[in-house]
Amino acid sequence: MATLWSKISAVLPHNEEQFPLQFSDKVESSVVEMLKRCRQQLYSDTTRTSRLLNAHIILDFSWEKLNTGTWRDVDKEWRRVYSYGCLFKVAALCREDPSADEVLQAVKTCDMGLLMGAAIMDDILQVIVRILQSEVRKSTKEEEESEHSQVKRIKIEGPRVPVIKEELAVPRIKCPSLESFNTDYLLPLKPVILEGIIDHWPALNQHPWSIEYLRSVAGCRTVPVEVGSRYTDEEWSQTLLTVNEFVDRYILNKDGVKASGYLAQHQLFDQIPELKEDIRLPDYCCLGEGDEDNITVNAWFGPGGTVSPLHQDPQLNFLAQVVGSKYIRLYSPEDTDKLYPHQSQLLHNTSQVEVENPDSERFPEFAKAPYLECVLQPGEVLFIPVRHWHYVRSLELSFSVSFWWS
Amino acid sequence: MRWFGFGFNAFGQMYLNEKLIKGECSDGANEVKVISPTELASHANRDESCLKTVCQIRASWSRRASLHLDGDSCVCLAASNESSGISVKDSRGCKDASISESYLTLAFPDRIESWDVQKEEKTPSWSMEIKSESSGASLDLPLVPGGYIATKPPFYRSLSPHLKAKSLALSAGHAILLSESGVVYTWGLGSHGQLGHGGLSSEQEPKIVEALWGMPMSCVATGGWHSVCISGGGDLYVWGWNESGQLGLPSRGLRKSPQQQGSPQEGARCQDPCTSLAEEPQEGEKQEEVFISIQAFPALLDITPSCEIKTVSCGSRHTAAVTTTGDLYTWGWGDYGQLGHRSLTSSDEPQRVEFFREQQLSVVDVVCGAWNTFVAVVKEEVA
Repeated sequence: MATLWSKISAVLPHNEEQFPLQFSDKVESSVVEMLKRCRQQLYSDTTRTSRLLNAHIILDFSWEKLNTGTWRDVDKEWRRVYSYGCLFKVAALCREDPSADEVLQAVKTCDMGLLMGAAIMDDILQVIVRILQSEVRKSTKEEEESEHSQVKRIKIEGPRVPVIKEELAVPRIKCPSLESFNTDYLLPLKPVILEGIIDHWPALNQHPWSIEYLRSVAGCRTVPVEVGSRYTDEEWSQTLLTVNEFVDRYILNKDGVKASGYLAQHQLFDQIPELKEDIRLPDYCCLGEGDEDNITVNAWFGPGGTVSPLHQDPQLNFLAQVVGSKYIRLYSPEDTDKLYPHQSQLLHNTSQVEVENPDSERFPEFAKAPYLECVLQPGEVLFIPVRHWHYVRSLELSFSVSFWWS
Repeated sequence: MRWFGFGFNAFGQMYLNEKLIKGECSDGANEVKVISPTELASHANRDESCLKTVCQIRASWSRRASLHLDGDSCVCLAASNESSGISVKDSRGCKDASISESYLTLAFPDRIESWDVQKEEKTPSWSMEIKSESSGASLDLPLVPGGYIATKPPFYRSLSPHLKAKSLALSAGHAILLSESGVVYTWGLGSHGQLGHGGLSSEQEPKIVEALWGMPMSCVATGGWHSVCISGGGDLYVWGWNESGQLGLPSRGLRKSPQQQGSPQEGARCQDPCTSLAEEPQEGEKQEEVFISIQAFPALLDITPSCEIKTVSCGSRHTAAVTTTGDLYTWGWGDYGQLGHRSLTSSDEPQRVEFFREQQLSVVDVVCGAWNTFVAVVKEEVA
């Protein structure tokens, strides 16, 4: 059987000459020299320590560049350099008969590159992480099988479902034709719940998404997690955890942590293509003017009680509910003056009002704003027109997928 | 005066090691990370003229420039990646120098020159004349008459004469200026509180650090995301990002496991800029512990109650200060040995570098590169 390193070296260029290190002049010659030293070590004999050290120099240096200025102003070249640092580190970790722990470290390193870096060498980190994941699965399979009988299903308490007033309910429609959706909802920018349009997703039938399934597909993968009840809170922060750590800590509450965690607004499906195969782009997206490649698909995975404060987005949105249910409130952009958006530039798309517990003294107009509401159930898709204000609270363990399109 | 160095040496900034450069050594860690202060050997410079006393050091991430200002002054570059066209004789007569990853800037009595150190050019890539009448006031780089020299083109940037600049320190993102009367101005990126105005917003133009108003300062320095200054009375003030303990204040980053550390903000969502400066203690931590992530106003840092601070310098994520009693204190990021404590440990508390005491050497000056530290010492006078 082929060793892990032979599988990885098979996807690397055969020799130093074929290994590309091309950068714009933004990347100084000293940094390129360091990268060349790493490359040389990849094809020659040296110690693991020395290889790791040089990879870390690249990672530390590019990390400083990634943290200088705002994220969108960081030159893409530095994100590429960061990815090279990850690649060299992974190679150093996996070279000599790595332990199970080192393989997991290598997976994490690939994910850091995928999350913070930019694609290099035909997205080689994506290729390598797949090789590594199959290795991880091999070694954890035996453990799991012996443990499986003991796995208790998480007891999901019946959620307290808010009573939806009929006159405020978001209208529902079953599998409308493209034309009728276009004329009745898309053109007039009216919210609607589409029923029966994602029943064919493998995520809902072939391999229904569950905690166990996510663990098996993505357990060792590192993802960004929002910690804190709402992103407007002072204590709110972002951290990086593996899916397993996230599930243990924030969904199963294994260490008794009270804080809430939410895997929110993350392009999980680009990071883990296996999960992408479980979902489909809604056909209705073709009614938009944008290219299919410009549709942003985000994952939203968390326990009951996660809250997205009332906010608006600059694109059209299909919010597809796969697991669990969510209470959603919608306000029209025409009523923005009654919603008290934050003054600061970063949060100007977010209302200051706590929707389900409004401060009527500070925000007297809020009660006058008309709204629609719904409880979105698995298999349902909510169409949120562009700039429509929405407030979302999960009622139980929930997994949703949002499609931002234009 | 003798110079010592410690920290990042992958390019032979401290001493050259042929094996290191060729990647042949069995275990490069000891050469790349110099954890104990090591005297800078002048024989590393092939040029005979560099055997003279080194008066000043300038350092970037991968390079070190030594200034020899006695008699026939010149600048020597020490680093393995020396492919630049500039030779020692091009620098004859210069009075000051500064160095970045791309350019070596030299200040002559009558002109300023910037040399591209990445190319083998025989002439400076940029130069400007200095009028003789204005050169009366002695200015330290990056200050020049009427303005300052930036680390990348356009090199010359003007400064309002009202600022009466006495010294200036530049990081990759922000600048800190000291006026003749001791007023501190900052501008540039403010994302990590490094401007000291209390918020996280950036400033286009120099803005007075109001919290220091009325307290004349004598020295300013800047790290990658932090700023420091010394008051006339020898007190040290710090502000900005404390990610590696570079402010000398309690840093959560140093108490966390390494795998949980460090990630720049992902995606578009951000926090409200004026909040979450101090972090609340989390579950499992002692309640009285309060960590400082970002210090957006200047904070007084007590290093040693008994003596005053004479000078200070910052690396990208560490800080080094010299006391009037000749001791060196360092704190912040230590992964490359840049703290000089014979370890690779980061520290969020100022710690004295014992080596110089042990050697009966009195520290007179300190200059930090991005990931290393250079220290000037004299033999301690026997009382």
